Amino acid sequence: MNGFLVQNGGIQSSIQDVGRQGLSDIGLTQSGAMDELAFGYANMLVGNTFNTPALEIAIGGVVLEAQGVMRIAICGANMQITCKEKVLALWQTHTLQKGDVLHFSFASDAQFAYLAVEGGFQTPYAYGSFSTSLKEGLGGIEGRKLKVGDFLLVLAHQNVGEKRKIQEAFVPSYPEEITVRLLKGYQEERFDAEAQRLFFGSTYTFKGEGDRMGYRLSGEKIVPSVTGILSEPICYGAVQIPSHGEPIVLLKERQTIGGYPKIGSVIGVDCFKLAQLKTGGKVRFCEVTLDEAYRATYTFYDFFKNIGVC
Amino acid sequence: MKRVYKIASESSVILYFGESIDPVVSKEVQKAYHALKEAKVEGFYELIPSYASLMVVYDVLSLTFDGACERIESILSHANTLLEHASNIVTIPVYYGLDAGLDLELLCEEKGLSVEEIIALHVKSIYSVYAIGFAPGFAYLGEIDARLATARLANPRKAVPKGSVAIADRQTAVYPAQSPGGWKVLGRTPTAMFDATYKGLSLLHVGDSVRFEPISKEMFLKLGGEL
Repeated sequence: MNGFLVQNGGIQSSIQDVGRQGLSDIGLTQSGAMDELAFGYANMLVGNTFNTPALEIAIGGVVLEAQGVMRIAICGANMQITCKEKVLALWQTHTLQKGDVLHFSFASDAQFAYLAVEGGFQTPYAYGSFSTSLKEGLGGIEGRKLKVGDFLLVLAHQNVGEKRKIQEAFVPSYPEEITVRLLKGYQEERFDAEAQRLFFGSTYTFKGEGDRMGYRLSGEKIVPSVTGILSEPICYGAVQIPSHGEPIVLLKERQTIGGYPKIGSVIGVDCFKLAQLKTGGKVRFCEVTLDEAYRATYTFYDFFKNIGVC
Repeated sequence: MKRVYKIASESSVILYFGESIDPVVSKEVQKAYHALKEAKVEGFYELIPSYASLMVVYDVLSLTFDGACERIESILSHANTLLEHASNIVTIPVYYGLDAGLDLELLCEEKGLSVEEIIALHVKSIYSVYAIGFAPGFAYLGEIDARLATARLANPRKAVPKGSVAIADRQTAVYPAQSPGGWKVLGRTPTAMFDATYKGLSLLHVGDSVRFEPISKEMFLKLGGEL
């Protein structure tokens, strides 16, 4: 059987596609790749459709042994990957031979890297998605992060295609300071002019408090006019302001309902950038109009569509 | 009833039907949820109901906020003339022994009631599923008798056992799986709340009615319950 034998699961590695859909009404989280850009690139390189399950590797530390010939691509955080004592470049395809061992070191520039394999991982499909939900313990490999001894099945491909790489101009950089676009809405009126001025005028720091569910940011505290609201549905990117006054941006593995006031939502394509922010990184929020949010979203997904892989 | 449409994100709209926990408001949410669900609109990815609001997550590549709102409004204005969605009444067996009802004694002290009185108050009502969240299949049921209304534990448990039947404020719920939690536990059910073999995966859905039925320890164990 072709695939990868996991010799070390690393810090937190899990199988992800773009996530689960249509089950939020019974409390299932969306889950899915934290950064759809690197995820999409990795799949694109090996000729997969956009929503093909890939291995999401947080921080690094993974060791994988190839059980056969496979074409792979790794995109995202630079974890210094070595194979047979050679460094494997990101953002391009590589062909692995049976017995090749991939060693992932630890990323210093961003959080997540994606390993895509031609044909995709043939891991269990659960509730309409291949995504692992770590909080709920479902999907992927027994609903948990990888551990030593796991086997990631891959359908064998006889025809290993030509080498492909992402043009340098399209390779994202992972700056230490980012600005994310926010669409106001929800309980915006619960935040007065002064609170909004503080929020949009401040630089927040990501101190590493967070996980796939969401990131808490440290900095200027803002006070909503209410401490709690009646529990209501939560969308991707929602920025909650609990009573401690510091924003929490809810990401892929967010809870489906909750009762904290929200100042608005970070647009989806900028949540991907935020997800990659390294510990100690800085975030500023800027307001966008709905039309600008649409344009940014169309641009992002059209890129994958136009090259025929979406 | 007036519906207020608000932007939640570039791909989701939230409808508010009211601002409080109110059976009348909840009914409106449930009607809208079922009407939209039955309409099976292409591009509506998620319909998430809660106490007084409903979120529709849509495909931003094929729908705009205005387009989604128009579509929702047209379905809902039409739905008002339709018959109300028939809701299920689900009976959940509960073993209310002290070895399962971890906070029964605490509640007796707090409320000045006997264990029997607490159980009787919990069993007598038929509850409505207001919302599902927190965990897969975790249904918020309301409302419990005012005499049982209680605050959450000051120190939440790190692990509430699977199947625990618990109360907080004027609500009650069953923990579908072992998880951290601060609700006060009255008993335990052997019935699975979330199961891959269930049609719809979750035993309960928003709008269902629920009643609890006390069972003996023997029956609890016979039905597969674990202590």
